[in-house]
Amino acid sequence: MLRAMGRDKASLDRMTFDNLTGSLLLLLLLVSDLLLCKSVASLPICPSGAVNCQVSLRELFDRAVILSHYIHNLSSEMFNEFDKRYAQGRGFVTKAINSCHTSSLSTPEDKEQAQQIHHEDLLNLILRVLRSWNDPLYHLVSEVRGMQEAPEAILSKAIEIEEQNRRLLEGMEKIVGQVQPRIKENEVYSVWSGLPSLQMADEDSRLFAFYNLLHCLRRDSHKIDNYLKLLKCRIVYDSNC
Amino acid sequence: MIDWRQSPPGKPEIIKCRSPEKETFTCWWKPGADGGLPTSYTLTYHKEGETLTHECPDYKTGGPNSCYFNKKHTSIWTIYIITINATNQMGSCSSDPRYVDVTYIVEPDPPVNLTLELKQPEDKKPYLWMRWFPPTLVDVRSGWLTLQYEIRLKPEKSAEWEIHFAGQQTQFKILSLYPGQKYLVQVRCKPDHGFWSEWSPESSIQIPNDFTMKDSTVWIFVAVLSAVFCLIMVWAVALKGYSMVSCILPPVPGPKIKGFDTHLLEKGKSEELLSALGCQEFPPTSDCEDLLVEFLEVDDSEDQQLMPAHSKEHPGQGMKPTHLDPDSDSGRGSCDSPSLLSEKCEEPRANPSTFQTPEGIEKPENPPKNVTHTWDPQSTSLEGKIPYFHVDGSKSSTWPLPQPPNQHNFRSSYHNIADICQLATGAAGASATLLDKTDKHAFKSSKTIETGAEGKAAEQREVESFPSKTDQDRAWLPPQEKTPFLSVKALDYVEIHKVNKDGALSLLPKQKENSDQTEKPSTPETSKEYAKVSQVTDNNILVLTQDPRAPNLALFEEQAKEAPPSLPQNQAQIDLASFTAPPGNCRLQLGGLDYLDPAGFMHSFQ
Repeated sequence: MLRAMGRDKASLDRMTFDNLTGSLLLLLLLVSDLLLCKSVASLPICPSGAVNCQVSLRELFDRAVILSHYIHNLSSEMFNEFDKRYAQGRGFVTKAINSCHTSSLSTPEDKEQAQQIHHEDLLNLILRVLRSWNDPLYHLVSEVRGMQEAPEAILSKAIEIEEQNRRLLEGMEKIVGQVQPRIKENEVYSVWSGLPSLQMADEDSRLFAFYNLLHCLRRDSHKIDNYLKLLKCRIVYDSNC
Repeated sequence: MIDWRQSPPGKPEIIKCRSPEKETFTCWWKPGADGGLPTSYTLTYHKEGETLTHECPDYKTGGPNSCYFNKKHTSIWTIYIITINATNQMGSCSSDPRYVDVTYIVEPDPPVNLTLELKQPEDKKPYLWMRWFPPTLVDVRSGWLTLQYEIRLKPEKSAEWEIHFAGQQTQFKILSLYPGQKYLVQVRCKPDHGFWSEWSPESSIQIPNDFTMKDSTVWIFVAVLSAVFCLIMVWAVALKGYSMVSCILPPVPGPKIKGFDTHLLEKGKSEELLSALGCQEFPPTSDCEDLLVEFLEVDDSEDQQLMPAHSKEHPGQGMKPTHLDPDSDSGRGSCDSPSLLSEKCEEPRANPSTFQTPEGIEKPENPPKNVTHTWDPQSTSLEGKIPYFHVDGSKSSTWPLPQPPNQHNFRSSYHNIADICQLATGAAGASATLLDKTDKHAFKSSKTIETGAEGKAAEQREVESFPSKTDQDRAWLPPQEKTPFLSVKALDYVEIHKVNKDGALSLLPKQKENSDQTEKPSTPETSKEYAKVSQVTDNNILVLTQDPRAPNLALFEEQAKEAPPSLPQNQAQIDLASFTAPPGNCRLQLGGLDYLDPAGFMHSFQ
């Protein structure tokens, strides 16, 4: 910049002034950068200067990941217990094919697809899946409770999952409010219509309905967990977990 | 040419499907019987939600009998239905379909590049620092997989691994290491919802010998703490040394006899001592009420006509019941009555214990054994009870035994009058009489409990639970060595020659005749010589009857007013004899009593 200026005296004076201004601006930029940059990379979604946004997003994501991890562990255990106790030798696994109510939601099916989705879309997708499970979880609890010799382990997990799912939904809505406050999406979700199957008189059919529901819950909770971890590493740690 | 040994292939089986990074996966199968012909295997699959059937894209990468699905062919959260087909010339056979979801078969490779380093910073504890890297295939940076690690290490020669969980960090510090050892270290990882990997190859490191784990701070702290503790202990001991010592080693109680002055004892002034005790002239004229003496032992002195003496020998016979003259006078008076027991009072008591078998009356050749001390539960109402020794269960005179007492454990217990005096005076004033140690030792050595009789055991329990005395057992043993007048000579029994109209008994010394004397109630003997006092009238007259039995039981009744027949004759019913005689009016009421101390009622008959 200094060399680019002219050499005559007036221009030299101007150059000096420009130099000073430039250095001052540079200094200001450096200082503001130092103030803003707590981590190596600043969050792409937070407006610059909003320190609170960065910190709270990190905490929100940490909390969300903990919840989603926990929910999937519970779902996995619940499914295994049900499978061991009620589904042995019934061949349910052959029938639980393409039977989840959330399959209509176009979720990414591998890592490349997941990494290609924009984080906002992925967040919305997570919200949709979470909302789709509000109703089934509620009915799962009431129907398991109504089962004769209601298995305590399964019932307690179902109740816990229902509550944690609600908390995760709240957390996700907060994150979405911070990441993309301007977009207010219509609440889209998949409708679950499996309640009649859960209440069928035929025990085999009813048990299969439960098996299917638990199988889908295990899968969707894994999806949510995976997506959130991807998002956290991408957003909070800049793909450098 | 048909070879009948050939057949279609057997059914293959899928063994395992695994994904190392949740992006690809491999399945392995096990062939069935090949039927003797070259058999080819194919893997076919279709995915959930699709109808199209595909074949394995890669049979090579995973090794023989395997199929590798690369990233393009791998979908997560999708069920694969996989089947193996074995085909040979004769036919084909298909395996059962296997339902595989890649989401749940993730098992990564072990971590890589494990490095170990010994760090010894200044002023800090040295430690082993190790670090590693996630397996190369796993994508941790994007968050697709989250890994947790575990390390294990051991000295080279040790058999057990020490496992540590390391969480999501890729480094670890070990602090506690033995110098001079070579350590082996391994690490493994696990995805957030998958299986543990294998352990990485071993890395080793040699800990140098000078790898000291000094921490002077800790030792200084320990030393200061110990010093403080010692100071506290010293201070506590200094302040409360005595009470602590007494807590740890409880003091042996000494005799607590009312009026007993140990200083006088040390000086050897027995007369003063005894007078201090309150030994009155014989017979005692006061303080009789609260004394209980069950057994009265009379000495074989020159005054034979005055005092009945126990026979010396009772070889194996039943015990001779010796009873304490319930007249307190007799017990106490012996102390001070020179005419009766002067010699005894001066002679040191030779008996090791107060209670001896009749055989061993004279000298302690036969130290008494199996002397039991019991309380009579019936006598609880009495005050100032003195436990008396009675012979053990073999002596039926002392306890109502459900069984006949043993013969061979016969011991007769007797009291030297002086002992009685001692005990009586001791019991008179104090609720607990304590004995000095020597006596107690002698006592204890001779104290055993006959366990032959249940009743006795029950009695013993009652005795032990007697509330008023805790040291009752010890209480009885008079300080023999200290009472020079308590000399036990051979005591003989006297026989009552006749009773004159005044009620005076004329007694003849009994000459070592034991044949008629047996303590066994079951063997009644013709004891013509013995008169049995059936009752004592108000005029202090003994009513004697001949008792053909020979119950050598000493029975003491608490009150003179009690009906003697209530006591079983042959049973030893231990009552605490009480000195109930009013001053100068000592009464005797003995049921089934064979021996009397005429000295006890001497005054009343004269």
